[in-house]
Amino acid sequence: MTSINVHNNEPVSLSSIKFLDKVTFSQSVKADLASGKRMIGLLPARKNDPSKIIAVLADPSSSLISIAGCDFKNGPLEFESFANEYPHTNFFECELSEDYGFIPLNHPWMRPVRKQNVIFGKTTYEFYRITGEEIHEVAVGPIHAGVIEPGHFRFQCHGELVYNLEINLGYQHRNIEDLIIKSNSVQRLILAESIAGDTVMGNISAHCNAMEGLSGTVPDKRAQIIRFIGEEIERIAMHIGSLSGIATDVGFSLAANSYGRIRTIMINSLALICGSRFGRGLFTYGGVRFDITDNIIKTLKDNLKFVADDILKINKYMFSSVGALSRFETTGKVSSEDAETVGLVGVAGRSCGIRKDTRVDFPYGAYKFIPVSIMTMSSGDVYARAFIRSLEINESFRHILEQLEKLPQGEISSTMKDPAPDSLIISITEGFRGEIVHIACTDSSGGLVQYKIKDPSFNNWYGLSIALRNTAISDFPLCNKSFDLSYAGHDL
Amino acid sequence: MINSIKMRILQGDPIVHDVRKNPMSPVYRGFPIISDAKCADNCTACFDICPVKAISLDPVSIDLGKCVYCPECEKICPAEKIHFSQNYIMSATERGSLVIKNGMTEIKPETASEKIRKYFGKSLKLRQVSAGGCSGCELELNAAGNINFDMGRFGIEFTASPRHSDGIVITGPITKNMAKATEICLEAVPNPKIIILNGACAISGGIFQNSTEIDRSFLEKHKIDLYVPGCPPHPLTFVTALLNWLDRK
Repeated sequence: MTSINVHNNEPVSLSSIKFLDKVTFSQSVKADLASGKRMIGLLPARKNDPSKIIAVLADPSSSLISIAGCDFKNGPLEFESFANEYPHTNFFECELSEDYGFIPLNHPWMRPVRKQNVIFGKTTYEFYRITGEEIHEVAVGPIHAGVIEPGHFRFQCHGELVYNLEINLGYQHRNIEDLIIKSNSVQRLILAESIAGDTVMGNISAHCNAMEGLSGTVPDKRAQIIRFIGEEIERIAMHIGSLSGIATDVGFSLAANSYGRIRTIMINSLALICGSRFGRGLFTYGGVRFDITDNIIKTLKDNLKFVADDILKINKYMFSSVGALSRFETTGKVSSEDAETVGLVGVAGRSCGIRKDTRVDFPYGAYKFIPVSIMTMSSGDVYARAFIRSLEINESFRHILEQLEKLPQGEISSTMKDPAPDSLIISITEGFRGEIVHIACTDSSGGLVQYKIKDPSFNNWYGLSIALRNTAISDFPLCNKSFDLSYAGHDL
Repeated sequence: MINSIKMRILQGDPIVHDVRKNPMSPVYRGFPIISDAKCADNCTACFDICPVKAISLDPVSIDLGKCVYCPECEKICPAEKIHFSQNYIMSATERGSLVIKNGMTEIKPETASEKIRKYFGKSLKLRQVSAGGCSGCELELNAAGNINFDMGRFGIEFTASPRHSDGIVITGPITKNMAKATEICLEAVPNPKIIILNGACAISGGIFQNSTEIDRSFLEKHKIDLYVPGCPPHPLTFVTALLNWLDRK
């Protein structure tokens, strides 16, 4: 056996990972990829020792994560790229190259990830260009028209039709992974919450699960359910926000503002539990800081039922509007084959028919005993990405209301034990956008020596590029909002 | 048509009528009140636990420009000296005014100059620049214009281009990768122009103050007109900050 298998949130001692030579490592990873596993991490086990890397591959069908190691033994940091046969690995290789100087030989398309000009030295990255009659190039960003994070979009257009869209990010790079390694536990909680300020719950859940897993601390069931409720309220609130954004970008003011109104009620519900509209401060190591009292349960139930009622009507209003549907249907289509090849995750993947959801495939926390259903659509267009959100919202409502009926007695927090030394853990959660991965590694005294974060946007930005091919450039804002990806989460 | 009317009726009356008197969640952490209670001997608990080093001792004070409004200091103080109140109104025109000491229940509102009030009092168009913001502040600024908080009714709006704006609102700690773009954006705003910093990251770097990837030299070159603290600042904190600054009712 060349790779070892672990479960989500199961710590493994570094000594049990086999660090192979380049050839055996490559064969092992290729065999795993060929059997249908998907790469979720490619990184040095210790940040200060790039000569030993691990490839982390997830297998939803068995709920196992395989880890294969490679020891470059102080030789050149180069390896044969996996991306020609398995395109979804390409961006992980670009990231490894940018962060640690690795060279993936014969990589099909090296692109900068977060640090402009690192892979290409002092020269500026050359965008893919097309030439010819009636060709024009449109550059948007980093600063965009709306109140939104920065990113650069380079369109190659023929008339109104986009032939290629390249997305160049990194403007929000704050070096959060480094800060997490160097910080104390109070700072880490806040850093994890701030990876992407709209996915506070998804990221803090991944972080707490990772640190608790490393230390063998298991929060009490009551705490786990409160965490579950926080995560699902965030899912509902952000999905409503996406629907509002999609309605805005087709000029459908009344639907947009109706969604906006009920989104406020949802995030105010999160504020009711912990004081912050985004759930900041709710999670702590070992459990949660705030309890859901009977009064809060009553108000939450009222709020949820109110919003569930209203959203039924607003969804019906928007999804039966011929004008809106004519903008949504067949726009920004991504085929299931492309989605599978590129490795789209979460909502974007499920709207193309990819049946993957971390809550079901790699259950964590309360999801281990709450059976969430996977929703999929098949058309892969803006309509699918919008409608699937309305389905996921209903599913989340159902589960939260069910859990509020029977919140178990128990403690809201447990004492955190010390993290195991020389250990590695993979922690995957399903944020509202998709699969979030945190990988943590400790040294001989239990301190962190590596912390790697993968936001679902890391996988999905390329989906937007594909969606814009053969689409009118005027549909770009709509397609962008239908994906609703994170810039800060990608940039770290 | 009839469905649209039904939808409009369903909206009801969602607007916050008095932006200065909105009830918040009972556990909302707003303006911190530092009481007279005596500190335990040699106690540095609040100073030690603060993740952003916002707290100073002898006497105890909290710098709202750094504060990320986490529950830690209130929870750990054995003398129960610190309490985050329900007051969401906090903003300042001077960086030093954000330091809260014992006895303060608010920051005394400071108004803009007569010239700014004359030009922008009834109509203020702002350009938002996210310079490394995590998207928390950006979402709350978007919400400030939504149907509940509706800053549009006061003539305050975010514009698509800096050329059409009266000033910029910066969120985020100003990353190296955004430093130049922020500078170019400010240059594009026609005079007279204002600069507002929204959120702990913009004001002091917040939780990212020790990051190697930020470049805050922009702030040494330009005078800041208004500081809005928070992590993220509640939409009403932003709206009331502007209204107080412009001396609007």
